[in-house]
Amino acid sequence: MTDTAVHPHAARPDGTKPPGRQGRGVTQGAGSGSPLLRLFGRRLLMTIPLLLAISVLVFVLLEMMPGDPARNQAGMDASEEQVEAVRQRMGLDRPAPERYFGWLFGLFRGDLGQSSVSGQPVADMIADRAPVTLELVVLAFVVSLGIAIPVALMAARKPGGLFDRATMVVAMTMLAVPNFVLAMLLVLVFAITLQMLPAIGFVPLEDGLVPNLRSVAMPVLALAVPLAAFYTRFLRGDLVEQMNSADYVDTARSKGVRPGLVLWLHAFRNSSFGLLTIVGLNIGTLVGGTVIIEQIFAMPGMGMMMLEGAMSQDVAVVQMCVFIFAAVAVLANLVVDLMYAVLDPRIRYGSH
Amino acid sequence: MSCRPRQKGPRRGVLGTVALAASLGLVLAGCGAGDAGTNASGNGEAAAGEPQSGGDLTVLLDAGYSGGWDTGLDPATSNSVGANQSLNSAIFGGLFTLEADENGENAEIVPHQAESYEFSEDGLTLTVKLREGITFSDGTPMDAEAVLWNWIRNLSSGSTGAPQLDLAQDQPVPELDQQFLDDLYAALPEDVDQELIEQRLGAIRAVDDVTLEIELATANGALVNAMPYNNLNLIASPTAYQEMGAQEFSQAPVAAGPFTVEANRISERLDLDKNEDYFKDGLPYLDELSFQSVAGDQVMYQTLQAGQGDAIEGLSSLTLIEQAQSNPQVTTTLGAPTSPYVIQLNTRKAPFDDKKAREAIYYATDFEAINEGLFGGQGDMSQSFTASGGLFHQQEVEGYRTYDPEKARELVEEIGGLTVELGTTDIVTARQVTTALQTQWQDAGIDVTIDSKPLGDVITKFGTGEWESMLQTAGAWDPAAGIGVGVRFGSTSTYSGTPLPEGASTAAEALAGGLQTDLDQVIQDAAGTVDEQEREQLYQQAAKMISDEAYGPFGIAFSPAQVVRKGVHGPGLTTPIPALAVNPGVIYERVWVEQ
Repeated sequence: MTDTAVHPHAARPDGTKPPGRQGRGVTQGAGSGSPLLRLFGRRLLMTIPLLLAISVLVFVLLEMMPGDPARNQAGMDASEEQVEAVRQRMGLDRPAPERYFGWLFGLFRGDLGQSSVSGQPVADMIADRAPVTLELVVLAFVVSLGIAIPVALMAARKPGGLFDRATMVVAMTMLAVPNFVLAMLLVLVFAITLQMLPAIGFVPLEDGLVPNLRSVAMPVLALAVPLAAFYTRFLRGDLVEQMNSADYVDTARSKGVRPGLVLWLHAFRNSSFGLLTIVGLNIGTLVGGTVIIEQIFAMPGMGMMMLEGAMSQDVAVVQMCVFIFAAVAVLANLVVDLMYAVLDPRIRYGSH
Repeated sequence: MSCRPRQKGPRRGVLGTVALAASLGLVLAGCGAGDAGTNASGNGEAAAGEPQSGGDLTVLLDAGYSGGWDTGLDPATSNSVGANQSLNSAIFGGLFTLEADENGENAEIVPHQAESYEFSEDGLTLTVKLREGITFSDGTPMDAEAVLWNWIRNLSSGSTGAPQLDLAQDQPVPELDQQFLDDLYAALPEDVDQELIEQRLGAIRAVDDVTLEIELATANGALVNAMPYNNLNLIASPTAYQEMGAQEFSQAPVAAGPFTVEANRISERLDLDKNEDYFKDGLPYLDELSFQSVAGDQVMYQTLQAGQGDAIEGLSSLTLIEQAQSNPQVTTTLGAPTSPYVIQLNTRKAPFDDKKAREAIYYATDFEAINEGLFGGQGDMSQSFTASGGLFHQQEVEGYRTYDPEKARELVEEIGGLTVELGTTDIVTARQVTTALQTQWQDAGIDVTIDSKPLGDVITKFGTGEWESMLQTAGAWDPAAGIGVGVRFGSTSTYSGTPLPEGASTAAEALAGGLQTDLDQVIQDAAGTVDEQEREQLYQQAAKMISDEAYGPFGIAFSPAQVVRKGVHGPGLTTPIPALAVNPGVIYERVWVEQ
């Protein structure tokens, strides 16, 4: 095994192995771009049937949800006539297939539809809320990796040492704490006790970087800390395994390379494949986490919008949210694949 | 109108830290503030002194109820008029308001933008006189024609906040200005039933610039009492509607209330500014008022502690109310209760088609103990569908079956055992009560399973008729309004388990055939008169019939609490006002903060 051998954990997010290991790898430099673009294009095309399948599934699930959305909207003291009026306004008086295909054809025409509850154009709602969720998700990844990578590297330097054991205890604790409980703890400490950060609300970036970062600090931490704990455990375990058993590590050591450099230059590089895969797979989990975190911190993002839409069986809203989340997950996995090419020279240069 | 809501940063050093452990478990609680019943004032406030003008206030509302306005703020199309009472009171003011003494007693409907109202002797004509000289914030007059435009539109545009009026039929349509009619039809749904509109225009008339009349086919004793809860109370500027269009108007309606809309992020945050042209001199006191939607009781309380809010409307978690009551930095005021808990028993299927099974439930239920154990004795006990803050309250009903576990056991044995499913809405307080009931009933030999579901599923379950017993709240300030006695005990109501009339196998059949039970007749008669004494007697009769037939034991009435930081004062926030339906109302024109 050479020092660029792909670690077994380095499967791609879709379960296949990286192109370089399957003999159908990228045969030209990444700089030329065309094989990568072809890969990118293929994967994008694959997302179309996937998104269609998801849209059918979401629609069927919403249809199967117990309860009459019109009656739920109308409330207990509404008359039958009022319930029917609500049903008509929500478009629920039309057969389900007609509603689904009406929505789908509208989508092909570039019309994302209107919320059946508020009547607002879904496109406007998404344009308004997507930046909030995007900022939360991106910052949560940055913060979680920013914590996990240095901590895991330090812990792996002396496995079983004090720092390693302390790190693992903290990581296990953070993994055991649901993120909404962590959110409440953060509010208690930073908003109520120290009065440093706002307990709720979102300040857009255009109102200033510092106010914006203050408003997202706690939601980002609530999302990032459990992720950081997970990544730390994963990366530290992988690094220790590499350091203990990989031939290339022995080779490097025998050449007199310092253990710190071996860890950083060789072991971490290989372990980063596994980490990347996990990060790609975590997109869905993280987006799911925003649903509850946005509620707690009154962040006007897509998570909150999707939850409200699901509660009121607002098909147009839920469909578009799921579409976007699914598309983001697919794109994230594509980016991970591209990152393989950057990290693995065999993929980049097509050499074996 | 700017589109960016105001945000308030934390106030350093305003509030301290409180115990964490007890509160963490309540994170997602309190989505339906409505299942508590209620009583008395909490840690109250010292003498507030003279009101001061100026300042701003941020009110925290539960996103699951009063903090949701997904269908907008246009009263003609909103489906949350009742839940958004506070927002509406601030923007529209209202023709009538419900006001009470400082201790919450003697609550009555008071003309606000209306100057007076009067029923004819037979109760079939309601005459409403408006105050002269009121203008909307766009400068146009709030006269009888504007109110007529609003009333017809509010009744005819599909809002679930529209009252169900039995208007007189075949009244001739008076001569109306063509421009008025054009403007009206332009503001109605395209597929509106023109005949229905003409019938309404015949029954609802502008007599002169400040007088309107409503002609009814049957008297309606709750017509005015229910107004502050429905959309007839909310009058907007027709001119503004025409200029803004439906969508923009729904975001920022123009009215004659104490505040005007500055920014609106639907179901998130609403920022209002003082209406400089408000018709009452010196009011409102506040310069700015904001409503912030927050996810549940726990988050609302923490946000108040963090200094990002000044008041919480409708805190229903008992644990948090207790915390707030012992927190010297906030003032907690319990509302005057109007809606007691009731265990509805479905008499249309086993086991409660057997009266003995229903009697066993009455005897096995000890709401007094639950009041002491869960509500710290602060709840109001009731044996009928009224509570001390509401109209026609009677605390005791003659012959009511009180707690007697021995008798319950005997009855259970006599009918060969009793297995019951007890349903409820999935909120913390209701779950706590059902758990206590389960223990009490099991002591009497009754097997109980609890089925706790979100409100939407509870509504659906009622609709299927496949339920046995259900813990809900019954009543409203006026028993004929909102989710009142008719909703819980009328035989044709979807949410009732009382027996169907003879000759009907479904509610639809009963409705189609005009069939009624004796109880239906009494409830209808009580709503169908404007004679207060007669109404009182009829409601007493209805309570006795429910008790005699053991249709459902009543229990504690407990109102959600209003919690404000020290220095905030106002009717409905620091003095109790009975809840018309769920949350106590607040009169925001008179809310003020110490400067």
